[in-house]
Amino acid sequence: MSPGSPLARIPVRVEQRPAAAATGTIGGGVAAILTEIATLLERLAATGESAAIDLRSLPMSPSDRERLTQALGRGEIDIVLHADGDSSIRETGVQGVWWTEYRDCDGEVLAAFIEITRVPEILIVPVGELTRGAVQLREMARTAAAPQGESTRVTI
Amino acid sequence: MSRSDPQPTIGELLDRNGVSRRAFVKYCTAMASVLALPPLAGRAMAEQLRAARRPSVIYLSFQECTGCLESLTRSFAPTIESLLFNVISLDYDDTLMAAAGQQAEEARAQAMKANYGKYLLVVDGSVPTGEGGVYDCAAGRSALDILTDCARGAAAIVCVGTCSSFGGIPFANPNPTGARAVSDIIRDKPIVNVSGCPPIAEVITGTLLQYVTLGRVPELDAHLRPTVFFGNSIHDRCYRRPFYDRGQFAKSFDDEGARSGWCLYELGCKGPTTYNACATVKWNGGVSFPIESGHPCLGCAEPDFWDGGSFYSPIPTPRWGKAGEVRPAQAAELAVGAAVAGAVIGAGSVLLAGRRTRHLQGPEQDSHEKKEE
Repeated sequence: MSPGSPLARIPVRVEQRPAAAATGTIGGGVAAILTEIATLLERLAATGESAAIDLRSLPMSPSDRERLTQALGRGEIDIVLHADGDSSIRETGVQGVWWTEYRDCDGEVLAAFIEITRVPEILIVPVGELTRGAVQLREMARTAAAPQGESTRVTI
Repeated sequence: MSRSDPQPTIGELLDRNGVSRRAFVKYCTAMASVLALPPLAGRAMAEQLRAARRPSVIYLSFQECTGCLESLTRSFAPTIESLLFNVISLDYDDTLMAAAGQQAEEARAQAMKANYGKYLLVVDGSVPTGEGGVYDCAAGRSALDILTDCARGAAAIVCVGTCSSFGGIPFANPNPTGARAVSDIIRDKPIVNVSGCPPIAEVITGTLLQYVTLGRVPELDAHLRPTVFFGNSIHDRCYRRPFYDRGQFAKSFDDEGARSGWCLYELGCKGPTTYNACATVKWNGGVSFPIESGHPCLGCAEPDFWDGGSFYSPIPTPRWGKAGEVRPAQAAELAVGAAVAGAVIGAGSVLLAGRRTRHLQGPEQDSHEKKEE
């Protein structure tokens, strides 16, 4: 709406969110999620088994989500994954607990979850990629070591 | 590529298009989320999908408003582009395709011939059967004729929207065109109903993706809907459920209860008898859903939703226990999920709301409800 539009002359009063919703009493699941994370973290320490909680599947109010973010806090690591859009993998204030958000090229959130793991799985490079990388590097080295062509020498 | 060439695997297509491993794992993790699978299943899904081949899809539109297709084209995860380029081969859709008339019909005939017995048939809209099906014709053929012809060579049929799933609004009383659901006409093919008016975009794309990943129709409920998306009632997964359990209800759209985000049951919310993913997958890329925006659920994913009485009257008490509306297993979940005291308050409210409905509607309306039962 442009400032000169007649609509702009209609007075608008923004009402604050009612106290009951703002205090986060809706859903009331934050404590339950924190307890679940603690249990999964203990399991990770004992057995090495990683886990993840899909934030999309939880019926949380916006205030619940805000409380959860605040409760977990921020850690020392922030990773941006540049693959079909910029996704963020952020360590929370609790080591081993990561807040991951996958986004598309328009910045829309495709998936959001809490990972309980030493290192988020998507960062770990599988063996196949390692060997493929080695082949690629050897090929580059071979090309670099080969005698240069006539045209290149002329250029130099 | 000529039609006789085998379709490349999805993995081969991704490599050709330079899609990285991490980008595809990311995509599959998002898909796993939509399909209510654990986030860590994304990697396994990526491996499975890479080995799969894109199925040919033929999309037919009959007696409908195009709202379902509008919804589908607004899918955030996967986007319709990524679905079309990476997961399925959409060979016929008379609304989306550039070709028209004879060219379009030829494209459909070719796709059916090349993929006979293997293609996926997607239908949106109900099928009018009155007067020999004259109410919906294209290229000189009735919808009934086209459906029967296309269904013959299909591996499975996916009905998108309440109209093709259950008849929807065209089927509503007095149903002047003799509208029928696809499952009323085709009896010898696997059918998946993705109901909703319209269905959530991600539920449509997720169902197609689930079919490609599994290579078969997924687990279905009594109404042939994928349990992954339709396994829980809106009420079960509603973030306002705690208010229901406490007996806190909005009585009008502008009272203190409505402003405080209390339960909309008494304003006619059909959440308790409606099975869909609105409360979890939500709409517009997960922004919100009707109840979060302050409006009761209309129950649009259920059979006969248009003839089910007023959208703004509380659900009559008997429907809570009606088989098919609230199944015994779901009813048990309701009972277990709610705190005992809260459940008592909630049940009390159901009774009170039932009385209030009868009081508001008067004896005539009441008998109409009884007739429907």
